Amino acid sequence: MKFIATATLALLLLAARPVAAHHALSAKFDDKKPMKLSGVVTLVDWRNPHAHVFINVQDPKGVLNWAVELESPIDLQEGGWRPDTLKPGDKVTVEGIVARDGSRQVWGNSVVLTATGRRVLNVDLSPPPPPLQARPTPRWPDKQPRLGPIPGGVQGYWAYPSSTVLMEANTNIKMDPWGLLANIADASKVAPMQPWALALYRSRQSRFLQDDPTYLNCKPPGGPRQFQLRYGVQFVEDRERQRIFVLIGGGNSNYRIIYTDGRTHAGQVGGDDDNPLYYGRAVAKWEGDALSVDTRGFNEDFWFTNGGLPHTEQLKLLEKFTRTDFDTLKYEVTIDDLGAYTRSWSSGWTLRWVAGEELPRHLCQENRP
Amino acid sequence: MRRLIVIFAFFAACLAGAPAGAQEGHPLKGSWIGTWGPSKVHSNDILVILNWDGKVISGTINPGTDDIPIKNASLNPEGWVVHLEAEAKDKAGPINYVLDGKIEGLAFHNRSITGTWKSQRESGQFKIQRQ
Repeated sequence: MKFIATATLALLLLAARPVAAHHALSAKFDDKKPMKLSGVVTLVDWRNPHAHVFINVQDPKGVLNWAVELESPIDLQEGGWRPDTLKPGDKVTVEGIVARDGSRQVWGNSVVLTATGRRVLNVDLSPPPPPLQARPTPRWPDKQPRLGPIPGGVQGYWAYPSSTVLMEANTNIKMDPWGLLANIADASKVAPMQPWALALYRSRQSRFLQDDPTYLNCKPPGGPRQFQLRYGVQFVEDRERQRIFVLIGGGNSNYRIIYTDGRTHAGQVGGDDDNPLYYGRAVAKWEGDALSVDTRGFNEDFWFTNGGLPHTEQLKLLEKFTRTDFDTLKYEVTIDDLGAYTRSWSSGWTLRWVAGEELPRHLCQENRP
Repeated sequence: MRRLIVIFAFFAACLAGAPAGAQEGHPLKGSWIGTWGPSKVHSNDILVILNWDGKVISGTINPGTDDIPIKNASLNPEGWVVHLEAEAKDKAGPINYVLDGKIEGLAFHNRSITGTWKSQRESGQFKIQRQ
């Protein structure tokens, strides 16, 4: 009995380790190798970070069991699907892309139930349609724009970034949503990198971003990346204490603090000291309708963008947040890091207001970051 | 009891394999520990601290009372080739060390540098691993 209890405890300890299955799609599957399978469902494994459907497929060599990987159960349930949408014995046709390592795994772009011809377990990740008419920017009584929801009003947060990748403004380089270049020869055009940074970026790209610490180890999304992840951000403006909390939907659902009380970038005595941090130290002031945020003091433990552009502890970010109307947040960022780049450079995108919803409470360890 | 110890040892070993803090910036920056010597049997421990200020790689070998400052260092991203030059002094005069190696396991937090070293008096191989 004691033996069973000990083994159970040990298993629980292992279960507490970060899940290593999170990945950019391209890190595991090859989008240049499409695959169509028809078979019979043997098992539905409905668990985070990704649901799997196992099917038996008749092959000239015999019956082979394939694993079909799908979005997370949270996303699937938001799409209206349930663990029993498919049952063992159901005949299905799957279209997808195969695993790079040659194993019998496929990412399911489409799963169709043979009996009804109905497509199942699909997820729509596109943003909701924009409002027909732009609504005015909500403001505090002193006319300063509000970045968060109106107290007592409808909740909301910012998501659906118009770009999920970072590249210098006015460049147009083809990448997938995880930042993987369509053509690695374009690497030098993404940003003005120093030779070592360019070589490291190319190396990460050539490994299909599989070493991304955010996906691999659930590291927090520092820097501009917090405004590029799917689960969005929420601003909580604490005017009395002169600080803004940026609640981060990706990673481990933690927060970054932007101080608006005029302090410098120095660390807190008895607090975070002057150690480099994932989110750095952010101080801000309002310039007209734009919140201008100066952040420095980053550590080097994370990738500051999808796609693996390197940075160093010399990184300084100048970010501008402008709520141009009720439903649009304009994000502009200047990257100043002469440790990794030859000059400062800029980029920007917009985020959409998701009205009537709270920031999703998904932890990286149990879902995609 | 023996079975209990075996189980705990197994799971402790699994946990020890959990990813440690990575350093995703300049690949040379950090503390590197390993050995250098004329042979694998007769080797000495070595600690190398390396830093990157955006232009220059600097650092120290075996920081302490007998530390050896690195005078010249380079990293060629083409093949991740590392070159370090350091100068020590003893009673017989200055000793110039030259280390040439290559980064292996670039993507991993415990990447290593392996290569050869030489001075006016000795030469051999070295391997250091990032901590």
